[in-house]
Amino acid sequence: MRARAVLGGVLSSVAVLVIGWQVGGQTATTASPPTSTSDTSGSGTSGSGTSGTDASGSGTSGSGTSGTSGSAASGSTASGTFLGAVAQTRYGPVQVRIVVSDGTITDVTAPQLTDADGRSVAISAQAAPVLRQEALQAQSAQIQAVSGATFTSEGYTTSLQSAIDQAGL
Amino acid sequence: MTVPAVPVRTFPTMGTVVSLRGADAETAARVRAVFAGYDHRYSRYDPASVLSRVAAGTLRLADTPEEVRDVYALALTWRDRTAGAFTPHRPDGTIDLSGVVKALAVRDAGVLLDAVSPDWMLSAGGDVLVRGTHDGAPWRVGVVDPDRRDALADVVQLDAPRRAVATSGTAERGEHVWRRSVPTFAQVTVVADDIVTADVLATAVLAGDETDLARTTADGTVDVLAFGVDGRAWATPGLAARSCSRMGA
Repeated sequence: MRARAVLGGVLSSVAVLVIGWQVGGQTATTASPPTSTSDTSGSGTSGSGTSGTDASGSGTSGSGTSGTSGSAASGSTASGTFLGAVAQTRYGPVQVRIVVSDGTITDVTAPQLTDADGRSVAISAQAAPVLRQEALQAQSAQIQAVSGATFTSEGYTTSLQSAIDQAGL
Repeated sequence: MTVPAVPVRTFPTMGTVVSLRGADAETAARVRAVFAGYDHRYSRYDPASVLSRVAAGTLRLADTPEEVRDVYALALTWRDRTAGAFTPHRPDGTIDLSGVVKALAVRDAGVLLDAVSPDWMLSAGGDVLVRGTHDGAPWRVGVVDPDRRDALADVVQLDAPRRAVATSGTAERGEHVWRRSVPTFAQVTVVADDIVTADVLATAVLAGDETDLARTTADGTVDVLAFGVDGRAWATPGLAARSCSRMGA
């Protein structure tokens, strides 16, 4: 399982998305539409095709080459790389991975895996850098729960909630 | 309370997964039983449940346990308070209380947890209820980007009395909300003092339109973050104030 996760640590073709949007400050007024812009430079840079390295630009994130977990028993001071539960998909096993430094998420990726024929397969990879960007900008992405449309029990395994639970943040 | 070696407990129920913090094994088992009890009575997926038998016509509503009728009455109250945007009836006329039973299970489990721990967090498929703090800091809940399930659109802090947050959307389970109009919203998050209010109003706004949003937010008792199907977004000032990304804390 962990061995597969190491393979999954390969980051390629991960588009960094930046949300240029903030919650509006008026009474239930319309805010700007959330805009997602592909951005392959700047602090949230992810290396295209970089094998086995953590392309996060924070300088504080843990090694992305390891599939091992850090200590999850110490609450908010946890550090290390944490993997969500493995979900079997038609593309192979999928895990959400987060890198934690002193209880703060410094990197999050949906690992990109290869299918049985060795071709790389993109699975929700474009989404992860939003949290990365937020974490790196605010250094405050310490969250204990995720609220969204109700996920199924199957969907839980690939959810952010699963990865956070594993990390015990 | 000593932090257990495994601080987060999870278990599947009601077709989703519950994540629980701040509870010992015995309390977690009782929480699990609360969910199982609601599922047993109200699931429309289980043909043997009380509500499935009512829908099938083999059991009269008047013959159901009093608590089932109480939940139905509660749902009807919410239907009236939301001008029909929330409804306990399927289009075919049968009763479906799934829009409220998950929140009721969270509420009841919260009563159990309150008795044993000053600091806990309970999330049932994204319906989150908390008490106290997490290592001295407010509990923080990420709101999923409606278009990308593994990304966050916002992070909100929960401080008493605003202890509950719930989100309704069409992304994960598909269209399980019975809309009464052309869809305006893709995802609606409500922060409230109690989880039933948060859950019901999130469902009601998602099923409704901007009029429903305006009515829901008029009295200032809840905070709302809503995403439209057209890319627009709405937020109440209270939601913006507890948004961590905005504060840059």
